[in-house]
Amino acid sequence: MGNNVAVVTFPGSNCDHDTVWALQELGAEVVMVRHDARELPRCDRVVLPGGFSYGDYLRAGALAAHAPIMDAVGRAVARDAVSVLGICNGFQILCERGILPGTLWSNTSGEFLCRWEWVEVATSPPGWPAFVPGMRFRLPIAHAQGAFRVHEGGAAQIWAEGGAFLRYVDPVRNAATGYSPNGSVQGIAGICRGRVIGLMPHPERAMSPVFGSEDGRRFLHLWLGGPS
Amino acid sequence: MTAADVGLTRAEAMTVRALVGREPTDLEWGLFGVLWSEHCSYKSSRNRLRWLPKDGAAVVAGPGGNAGVVRLDAAVEVAFKVESHNHPSFVEPVQGAATGVGGIIRDVVAMGARPVALMDSLRFGPQAAALREGVVRGIGGYGNAIGVPTVGGEVFYGPGYAKNPLVNVLCVGIRRPGREIGARGAKPGEEVYLIGQPTGRDGIHGASLLASRDFSQADRDMRPTVQVGDPYTGKLLMEATLAAVAAGGVSAVQDLGAAGLASATAELAVSSGVGIALDLDRVPCREAQMSAYEIMLSETQERMLLVLAADGGEDALDAIRAWGLVPTKIGVTTADGQYVLTFRGQRVAVLEASWLVDGCPLKPAPSPRVAPPLPARTTGSVRVSIASQELLAMLADPDLRDRQPIYRRYDSMIQTRTVWGPEHEVAVLCLKESTLGLAIAVAGPGRWAAVDAYSGGAAAVALAVSRLAVQAAEPLGLTDGLNAGNPDQPETLAAFDQMILGIRDAALALEVPVTGGNVSFHNETDAVSIWPTPVIGAVGRHPRPERPWADAVTRVGRWIVLINAPQKPTLAGSVWEQRTGQLTAYPRVDLERLARTVHWLRQALLTDALGIEAVRTVADGGLWLALIKLLGLDGPGNLGIAVTLSAEALAEQLLNEAAGQFVLSIDDRGWPEVSAQLTARAIDHRVLGQTVAEDGLTVRVGSGSGASHWHWPRTELAAAWRLWEDK
Repeated sequence: MGNNVAVVTFPGSNCDHDTVWALQELGAEVVMVRHDARELPRCDRVVLPGGFSYGDYLRAGALAAHAPIMDAVGRAVARDAVSVLGICNGFQILCERGILPGTLWSNTSGEFLCRWEWVEVATSPPGWPAFVPGMRFRLPIAHAQGAFRVHEGGAAQIWAEGGAFLRYVDPVRNAATGYSPNGSVQGIAGICRGRVIGLMPHPERAMSPVFGSEDGRRFLHLWLGGPS
Repeated sequence: MTAADVGLTRAEAMTVRALVGREPTDLEWGLFGVLWSEHCSYKSSRNRLRWLPKDGAAVVAGPGGNAGVVRLDAAVEVAFKVESHNHPSFVEPVQGAATGVGGIIRDVVAMGARPVALMDSLRFGPQAAALREGVVRGIGGYGNAIGVPTVGGEVFYGPGYAKNPLVNVLCVGIRRPGREIGARGAKPGEEVYLIGQPTGRDGIHGASLLASRDFSQADRDMRPTVQVGDPYTGKLLMEATLAAVAAGGVSAVQDLGAAGLASATAELAVSSGVGIALDLDRVPCREAQMSAYEIMLSETQERMLLVLAADGGEDALDAIRAWGLVPTKIGVTTADGQYVLTFRGQRVAVLEASWLVDGCPLKPAPSPRVAPPLPARTTGSVRVSIASQELLAMLADPDLRDRQPIYRRYDSMIQTRTVWGPEHEVAVLCLKESTLGLAIAVAGPGRWAAVDAYSGGAAAVALAVSRLAVQAAEPLGLTDGLNAGNPDQPETLAAFDQMILGIRDAALALEVPVTGGNVSFHNETDAVSIWPTPVIGAVGRHPRPERPWADAVTRVGRWIVLINAPQKPTLAGSVWEQRTGQLTAYPRVDLERLARTVHWLRQALLTDALGIEAVRTVADGGLWLALIKLLGLDGPGNLGIAVTLSAEALAEQLLNEAAGQFVLSIDDRGWPEVSAQLTARAIDHRVLGQTVAEDGLTVRVGSGSGASHWHWPRTELAAAWRLWEDK
């Protein structure tokens, strides 16, 4: 798989340029795509970046899920033609679209939360053996609605299907399970289904120790198919 | 309609009639009312603001525009300004604060700059948790959504702010040289476009009535004059405006804020030296049957005025449409300086634009422009003793405690420039456009200006510039947010004058221009005024933003050094004094010595051989809090600080807040040279102790048989500072 990446800009996306920059730092060929495009450009991968698409009015990601470009993304996913990464608002959009299971609710604090967290690979996503279970990343979160929720029994199903990709961990207290900064069920920070991955933390903000961590660089490098 | 209905005095109304030469129409009275309001005209402050130095080597655009602009290097210019949204935030905290953020962001965008950082300076009364929560939610809700990081700020409390909270917001933006835009570039015969939200009936008379007079009990009635912010449209407007400017063909940009279309069009006309003719039937309105008066005075948020060349503006219009906004041509610029409004086929206002913007009679400035004498001290000689428990209790004081519960609710990292965010006393941003970075600081506790406004004004500048100096950052410019009570009270105005003179003297001594700012008067309710409160924002050129100098110790065996400790330390103006009694006059800063110190510090930090490991200022909470922060509460358990202080005036040594002091940790090999350099520059310096292998902070007091000894592990300090109960 090549590294032509399409980054989608919805009105209200605000991490699109950060994401483009991060991917270019890693050598990807990046093209920016508008929300109202009816087709994806020729690409191997799609990133739905963070932000407040359409103001996050109604619910976070709910309106963007019905943007024209999401029809194209949905078709490409159905054909297994692209890998998709949804970051923060992008994750919310994928859930609202039904491409990923579950939904993202308001943080239990009721407030926006911006801080550093540790996440751990719980299950390798299919196609990414380089994300080894137990591998940890220190990444920032910045969201008001990041509590991952599923219907009763849904979490067990996600685990059974191998979709429980990332969970929050607290290395200081060494609590491997159950920790969550925002109220996510079973501490889930990111999930996958097929070649579609969604996560709440922002790897594009952790590209260098200058910004507090370069674990995001490592994360995106692996997502782009780089060796571990 | 009468002149009083629109907030004009009888004398001002007479001036209006003399200028116009006839009885103005209701609409014209309304225009004079808002544009001659304190908020728009600066009639009480304009002559006084001239005292401030505005020129400097880095200045690209000084005061008077939407924001000041300074040059970072050949590739980057920096637009920045502080603005207040005090009155609306009291009436409706969430929306008042949110629209304050939106407003200052638009100011920076109107200079063609992309906003890259916000800071907030907030003041509340005691027991103001509900109000504070609303303000924090408003700031976060707007800033987070529009995608501009909040990289720092300050929060302080005082009784005078109980019914007059302050919400001052600093916005910093960057642009490429050659992207100059602003309100000054319109030429006759060009087209005037309005973009953004349709105009509604919200916020009418917000500037003239809400922000330009004192509060009284009845002012919850003013809630309808607060506007509602929509960060989503704000984001589209920001991107559309910047895209239009980049596309070319845009002659001038002016944001719509206080006094809406009236102020924006009149100020743009006068700034550019053109006339303007508007057809109000073209203004897109949210509601039917809006009158010309409502259209002109509405303060609906998220609107921008653009002037496009008569031919060649198509690319700009396309760029705007690409962001989903509909640009609407509402008028033209003319050569005659006239301000002409047409509505339903009638000319409803025919004035000179300059009457509206420059016609208001200004308060004359007083002539003695020297520093006032020191006020008499009243409690300077009180004997103070202090115990360990009191020191710990101070850490939970509302003015000193950890701000993380507030700052974690703001996105401080978006745009991936934030190297240092709100957990530090100065923000550090690296830029993809330059190897140089930005250091940004804000300072100005009202406590320091409460009794001696001159001293407080000077100290606010001193602290802001000192905060840049700990990052070896050269100050490029200052912005001043001046908050005060009713300017018609002689004492209030006199204190305001002294505050400006203090800022002037410090800015001159430290060689930093003031490139713009904001004045907010009438922060007074039921005859209780705030302390005069100077909020100083400083922007500096950071020499190596990817490697900031540490502000906490990292190694055992370093000297802990205090620079510029006062000869006779006093608790005047300090948090300790506020907690225990009446505030007295904060000490005057030795500005010449501080200028020598910051010059030295900038050089010394760049000289690796001097071995300066960490440095920070001494400010609120004095040496006590500075040592705790220098220790670093998240630092390793095998590292601590141990200092020795004399038993005499111990509380004053630990808790005085005199500006211009720094604490440093310095390695053994550099210390002799550092000491020699400081001695040669007559900068006071003393070794307080050193870093040790034991966790926490140790303070030894005195020597010999009377010596005593305090020790606090990090956990104890952190528990006191971080785990506060909200009231």
